[in-house]
Amino acid sequence: MTTLDSAETDGTPLPRRASHSSIRGRLTATILVFGTLALATCVLAPILGTTPISLRRAFDPSIPFEQNVDAQIFFVARLPRVLAGALVGSALAAAGVVFQAMLRNPLATPFTLGVSAGASLGAMLVIVLGGALTFGPLSTVPAASLAGAAAATAVVYWLATRHGHAISTSVLLLAGVTLNSFLSAIIMFVQYLADFAQVYRAARWIMGDLDIGGYDTLIASLPLVLVAFVLFALLPSSLNLLSVGKDAAAARGVDVSQAQRLAFFSASLATAAAVSLAGPIGFVGIVVPHLVRLMVGVDHRIVLPASALFGAAFLVACDLVARTILAPVEIPVGIVTAMIGGPFFLWLLVHKS
Amino acid sequence: MFLNGDRVSYTYNRRTGVEAVKALREVSVRVDRGSFTGLIGPNGCGKTTLLKLLAGVLSPDAGSVSLDGRALATMSKRHVARRIAVVPQETHPAFEYTVLEMALMGRHPHLGAFQLEGPADLAIAREALTATGTSHLAERSYMSLSGGEKQRVVIASALTQSAEVLLLDEPTASLDLGYQLEIGLLLQRLNRERSATLVMATHDLNLAASLCDTLVMMRNGRVIASGNTTEVLTSAMVRQLYDVEADVRVHELAGHLTVVPLARLS
Amino acid sequence: MASRAQKLTALVAILLALLLPGAPSAQNRTDGPAPRRIVSLVPSITEMLFAIGAGPQVVAVSSYDEFPPEVKALPKVGALLDPDTERILTLRPDLIAVYGSQSELEKQLERAHLRTFSYRHGGIATTLDTIRDIGVASGHRREADDLVSSLQGRLDAVRERVKVRPRPRVLLVFERQPGTLRELYASGGVGFLHEMLEMAGGTNVFADVARESVQPSLETLLARAPDVILEVRASGLIEKARSDEPDVWSTLSSIPAVKNRRVHLLKGDYLVVPGPRLAMATEAFAHALHPEAFK
Repeated sequence: MTTLDSAETDGTPLPRRASHSSIRGRLTATILVFGTLALATCVLAPILGTTPISLRRAFDPSIPFEQNVDAQIFFVARLPRVLAGALVGSALAAAGVVFQAMLRNPLATPFTLGVSAGASLGAMLVIVLGGALTFGPLSTVPAASLAGAAAATAVVYWLATRHGHAISTSVLLLAGVTLNSFLSAIIMFVQYLADFAQVYRAARWIMGDLDIGGYDTLIASLPLVLVAFVLFALLPSSLNLLSVGKDAAAARGVDVSQAQRLAFFSASLATAAAVSLAGPIGFVGIVVPHLVRLMVGVDHRIVLPASALFGAAFLVACDLVARTILAPVEIPVGIVTAMIGGPFFLWLLVHKS
Repeated sequence: MFLNGDRVSYTYNRRTGVEAVKALREVSVRVDRGSFTGLIGPNGCGKTTLLKLLAGVLSPDAGSVSLDGRALATMSKRHVARRIAVVPQETHPAFEYTVLEMALMGRHPHLGAFQLEGPADLAIAREALTATGTSHLAERSYMSLSGGEKQRVVIASALTQSAEVLLLDEPTASLDLGYQLEIGLLLQRLNRERSATLVMATHDLNLAASLCDTLVMMRNGRVIASGNTTEVLTSAMVRQLYDVEADVRVHELAGHLTVVPLARLS
Repeated sequence: MASRAQKLTALVAILLALLLPGAPSAQNRTDGPAPRRIVSLVPSITEMLFAIGAGPQVVAVSSYDEFPPEVKALPKVGALLDPDTERILTLRPDLIAVYGSQSELEKQLERAHLRTFSYRHGGIATTLDTIRDIGVASGHRREADDLVSSLQGRLDAVRERVKVRPRPRVLLVFERQPGTLRELYASGGVGFLHEMLEMAGGTNVFADVARESVQPSLETLLARAPDVILEVRASGLIEKARSDEPDVWSTLSSIPAVKNRRVHLLKGDYLVVPGPRLAMATEAFAHALHPEAFK
């Protein structure tokens, strides 16, 4: 087989990473490493905190629960928080990966398409009008924010599929950004009408709060997140191809419109579940995918599971910092994710390039 | 009779009616196995649309496209992709895939739903890189390559699809003379040594004349002539296609027809 | 229109959000002709004015004013965030009580050559001083001084009564999301709620926090383990909604207050307005903390 001259090679080619070992091997290694990280974080986090507790006492079944302060701190205050952090962190990180691939834009976040603005509006309406009106089953903040997220998703989807069967990603992006602005304006208006205490409560909700104190809301969100993750599992190779180009993906056998729909709905579902559980915690959905890519490359079959695992560890760690660093005052976790994620990302970028 | 377009029509934005563009009107094309066909015509004549229909990326509003007697519409997208590969005009991946990763993406139609590529797929990909002279770039980021290198990588990733048919959209449009020659030689080799069936849409009449044995000439969404290059490529046809007065003759040294534009007719 | 309960809640939030005391305006202490048309944007000041006999001089109050009942008939001119300057000017006031942080509004009113009284938010001492100051500004200096003496007397009496009693550790909650323990706000170691609590014979579990409000996590609540929980609430709509709610504190059953069923709910707007009724509020706290002392 004759080969072409490689006359234009400009010096020694720089290998981007170690040579391409089998993807199966890389995937297994990645899941082992990141899985261990996530597990370790989730096991350590409930043990750590501002109040020293005795694990022995906490797990001592002979002490009645009502009298066991250590057990209450562990099982009521800390454990739900850690589990919520893991769930929300992995959901947002994975959704971030999917949106970035689908929109072919590394700067996309789970909140780009208006899902979180819809959730915020739902939450706001309950906070402000909840005393005067009743919304039936939607009267709680989590339920209303889920409904708001679903409504926003439906609107964006409708707008993006007006002109044909396949989703136009540019229209999707535009629709999402527009909806974000519009909903933000409505939210501001509702806040203006609200009284001061409600405004403060609403502002606090937007900063994110993992201190759920019980397992009900967690269990309610779990099925949604699980469904989203099952759908995520179907996506990674399509995401690789879609991110190179829609037509190129179609020419390689991808059912583009089905893949786009799947990506859109699964990522929106994961985001909606996360936001309704703990408020819109920012930065996780954009920093984690990028951090992970800097570590494992850009193949979505590795990036997606790695981001889900790393996202869980990341958010649980950030929440640990949030609740210990300025005790007894707690920093909203969204602020910590920004302050930790941002500089770390910069450092990694500088060192890699 | 190998890859056929039978009276296909296509209109963009047909559903909404807003800015609807009738790109193809009852176009019939016959591509013989092992041939190297050039689709030529002025801007907007429908070359790219026809290429997309032949690839199965778009479905015709009327008429049908068939491969080896079977309509594309009856085959799954994966099946079509295993037999027909596309080299688009430009490829801009949103993320920094390596050259090898780009090449491996061509294996997608051959893999099952959750299957990861194995050593055989890797071998095919590496072989494709070798065939296009890009194996030394395997671990480089695609985005960091020069125009010529990029195009060769895209061709390599089409090769990994192990398809019999290669459809190319303006493969040399953004390349300089040197790269044009290089790509041309590569395509020629693929056609002759690997018996690949090639269909190339191009502006460059000289390129088409040098590589293609068959030409399909299009204007305003219709085929106005098709057949052997030597028979079809005449100054009369060039006049009809482009409203340009040109000198068409065999170049002694090059050994094929060349087209030199002389004046614009209005 | 905001419901009564919402107004009161807002009031609490506004009052506790004012961390920056305004500088006492020079006009606060000037002796001049007594104002005949007073506008009050601050519910505390409104209550004070009525308590010292300046009620007939008041021509308009804030949107959050509820007490005394006479204010219901008066026009409302906004509050901290949304004062209706136009309306205020239309009423031709000669004294306007504003929040210390409303510096823009103050400048506007000064440009219109109107006297303003700047309200400083603070603890019990500041409140009593404010009563004296508004007494001077409104031309009821003597009634104000008498009121302050009487309040001081009542406060001292409470302090005496509970002096020998052991002081329970108290969590003072003034806000939380209905039905849950999320978004719970408790009094920190600063401010009039904290001072009333201490005077009533309780020790604030958050006495070490140098802020007026604290938003503790569940872990912190469990760790601080108060002996008594006092929930301060306005009455009205929200009250009804909350009476339907399940016992939210039961999830933190290891807290002594929950175990020993010493969770008290105190209802009423007088509890959250630092004004003439603060002695009543302190007495209410004392009754809840030391019922035996009042038999």
